Amino acid sequence: MIKLNNRDFEWEEGLTVQGLLDKKNYTYPKLIIKINHVLVLSEEYASTVIRDGDDVKVIHLLAGG
Amino acid sequence: MKVLKRKPELCIACHACESACSNTWFKEDNADKSCIKIKEEANKNVILSCTQCGECISICQVEAISRDKNGIVRINKNACVGCFMCVGFCPELAMFMHDEYIEPFKCVACGQCAKQCPTNAIYIEQE
Amino acid sequence: MNIEKLKSAHKLLCEYKYELGKIEKGYTNRTLYINVGDNTISEKPVTQLMKDKFIGGKGFGLYYLWHAVTPKTKWNDPENEIVIGSGPIGGITQYPGAGKSLVCSISPLTGMPIDSNVGGYFGPLLKFSGFDALELQGKADKDVIIFIDGNKGTITIEEAPEEAIDSHVLGEQLTEMYAENEEDKRNISVVSAGSAANHAYMGLLNFTFYDVRRKQIRLKQAGRGGIGTVFRDKHIKALVIRFAGVKGNLNNADDQGKINRTGIKLHKEIHDFDAQQCRMRQVGTANIIEVMDQYDLLPTHNYKFGAHPDTHKISSKVFTGMITQNTPDGCWYGCSLSCAKAVDHFELRTGPYKGQKVIVDGPEYENAAGLGSNCGIFDPHDVLELNFYCDTYAIDTISYGTMTAFVMECYENGIINKEITGGLELNFGNADASLEMLHQMARGEGFGKLAGLGVRNLKRIFAEQYGGDPVFLNDIGMEQKGLEFSEYMPKESLAQQGGYGLTNKGPQHDEAWLIFMDMVNNQIPTFEDKAEALHYFPMFRTWFGLNGLCKLPWNDIIPASNKHSNEPAKIPEHVQNYVDIFNGVTGKNIDKEQLIVQSERVYNFQRIFNIRMGYGKRIHDAIPYRAMGPVTVEEYLSRADRYDGQLKELVGFNPEGKTTEEKMAALRSYREDQYQKLTDAVYKRRGWTMDGVPTIEHLQAIGMDLPEVIEVVKNHL
Repeated sequence: MIKLNNRDFEWEEGLTVQGLLDKKNYTYPKLIIKINHVLVLSEEYASTVIRDGDDVKVIHLLAGG
Repeated sequence: MKVLKRKPELCIACHACESACSNTWFKEDNADKSCIKIKEEANKNVILSCTQCGECISICQVEAISRDKNGIVRINKNACVGCFMCVGFCPELAMFMHDEYIEPFKCVACGQCAKQCPTNAIYIEQE
Repeated sequence: MNIEKLKSAHKLLCEYKYELGKIEKGYTNRTLYINVGDNTISEKPVTQLMKDKFIGGKGFGLYYLWHAVTPKTKWNDPENEIVIGSGPIGGITQYPGAGKSLVCSISPLTGMPIDSNVGGYFGPLLKFSGFDALELQGKADKDVIIFIDGNKGTITIEEAPEEAIDSHVLGEQLTEMYAENEEDKRNISVVSAGSAANHAYMGLLNFTFYDVRRKQIRLKQAGRGGIGTVFRDKHIKALVIRFAGVKGNLNNADDQGKINRTGIKLHKEIHDFDAQQCRMRQVGTANIIEVMDQYDLLPTHNYKFGAHPDTHKISSKVFTGMITQNTPDGCWYGCSLSCAKAVDHFELRTGPYKGQKVIVDGPEYENAAGLGSNCGIFDPHDVLELNFYCDTYAIDTISYGTMTAFVMECYENGIINKEITGGLELNFGNADASLEMLHQMARGEGFGKLAGLGVRNLKRIFAEQYGGDPVFLNDIGMEQKGLEFSEYMPKESLAQQGGYGLTNKGPQHDEAWLIFMDMVNNQIPTFEDKAEALHYFPMFRTWFGLNGLCKLPWNDIIPASNKHSNEPAKIPEHVQNYVDIFNGVTGKNIDKEQLIVQSERVYNFQRIFNIRMGYGKRIHDAIPYRAMGPVTVEEYLSRADRYDGQLKELVGFNPEGKTTEEKMAALRSYREDQYQKLTDAVYKRRGWTMDGVPTIEHLQAIGMDLPEVIEVVKNHL
């Protein structure tokens, strides 16, 4: 189990940041992603592996029209 | 058409080009008013100057920028509304502004700077 | 078109000459008053109090409107005003989005003040012509045009019987008529309404700018709240302004260099990042159509659902292919974000202009969602045709979309039928019926005329005359305070329910859009967190309207610094830009906290203005249940896992073995209670009583304790 935006989310072996985004259908382009408070850059989404128990934040920057 | 060409590896950052340019166009020796800028970075010098690519022509909302019959990209100051969008959008970072003026300025390949360059790092070429 | 013939039919009613003004640090220090009832024109000085307490733009608009009307004034009384103004920053050309006009009036839909912001050149040209704002009062006997020549210093009121009413024709006619030559056309801006504003309460105002590349006028809309209806009720056909000589320094800013540098910094960000972020330059606000669908936020079928399998047919990719891009278009000089899109040579298939090829200004997100998905319409051509006719007839696309979606649901539920609609088969997805209803609205005929009264009136009429269940109608009619909701699904975000409900003018997202912060990011979990957001963001966003600014360049482009920020939702670097350009123009020295206080004064003033007009209390902040949760079984079942899960986890109600109706009732009572608790928290944070009335102590603390304001408030405490 990991924390995704302070809510429980099922973890699985080998889950990457990109994998998480795909699972959640987080398609929005303006994201700030942090794992345990450390920033993950967009070019690292595919290669960054999430470990069990990680605190993941996927912050969507949209505040409307 | 005439274009100011660059060989930054030859540049010794003497800044003579900047003096020549600002003296020619603004009658004062002031690098902030030059249409060519030499940036000294850690292990190289960068020459910022216009390639006459014309990106700014399509950026300008009021059609104040156009290419003259010799191919030089020129600003019509009367039509310019001073938005400086062209400064922010120039791919060469070669459109400039100065607080004293409400229009931007740029290189028109007059060649005065090239005449002063001791290493031929800048030179005028016909394309 | 024969311009000479149109012009020769004009009859001069009044001519006024004035000294050309001088702008000092963003202000001309003068406003213009025009009464079309008795044809008087005068100038008023801008007082220090106005600048200190109301800043400009919407602040000046509300201030003048307050003093023009009484608590008894109705929208169609002659003393109602339309006030148009820019703001101290308005008209600078260096920072994107600095050409907005703010328009205020007593709304036919809400009966209280409405404010609407709009692009196009009128506001800045009014300032350069010598006036910080324009008040229009009175009612003319016959249609008039008001022409302001900001170079000659003349203002005329002319009877104008022969020009068109619809904006796409009228705008061209008047640009041609008042420009001295082709080159001069860019110096003209026309404000006009359209034929449907003669009949419907949701009439808008179009503001033009001349597109020098297309060599045609473009239309931007002050859409919300029916100000176009007031305009036509005053028998004003158009306002025309001419000012030649726009330059980047006409505001006589205190520190022009600071403004230039701040603007160039943002231009560069837009150049570097827009193509990866919002694609505003490519497709404008339509970029979020499919994003909203993917997050279950795109209203479909009158806000029943947040997604639809056909959304791909009206996605931004489809519209990108239809938009003709000469160059990214800004609605004022220097707007490099350039969201103003247009489809050229669009051939109309219905209505009085059938067969003609026209420019459609759009589609914006709200149009695609309101005219499209919310009504179950997923053909992009239909969306564009509706978009075009709404604009030229002067109908607010948001109110029209939300009203039509409501009417369609009523039709499908048998509350109204073909007999009542005069044959219109208003099923979801029937674009032809929607278009015909719109044409009827413009002709002032049939069911379209009735529909133009808006959702609030229709709910009453459907209940009283056609036997509709008032409870159900109130649940599904997506209006509050009389204004139709804008096009986002707020069901799963309590904070956004507040963002819509706890507003001054009604449910328009320009005060706060908190859905991602709340629902997806979970950044504001407690009532206090949500209340803080519902304090900060409405105040911050109010400030754009005080200054003549557009909101989009604040957060539709994100600077590189933002990922390291502690408060990324606020875009702190851009907040500082606004502080810098305000100080750069006015020479004042505010900081980001004082910026919020500037807004708080006007925000509370507007709240009290609502109270003065008989509204503005807690009871008026209630929202329909469709905005909060599933009204029908169909909605519940479509997201049953979500709702069942919430019942278990949040409500403490075990859904197993319960009927859908029992589950819906449990969810409803929970969600309605949540909204009440949120309301408590927000009122507390805003310094209001639990009835939603600003306290005298709070008004003193923020410096909005003017005697006329206290006079109103003290009767409600």
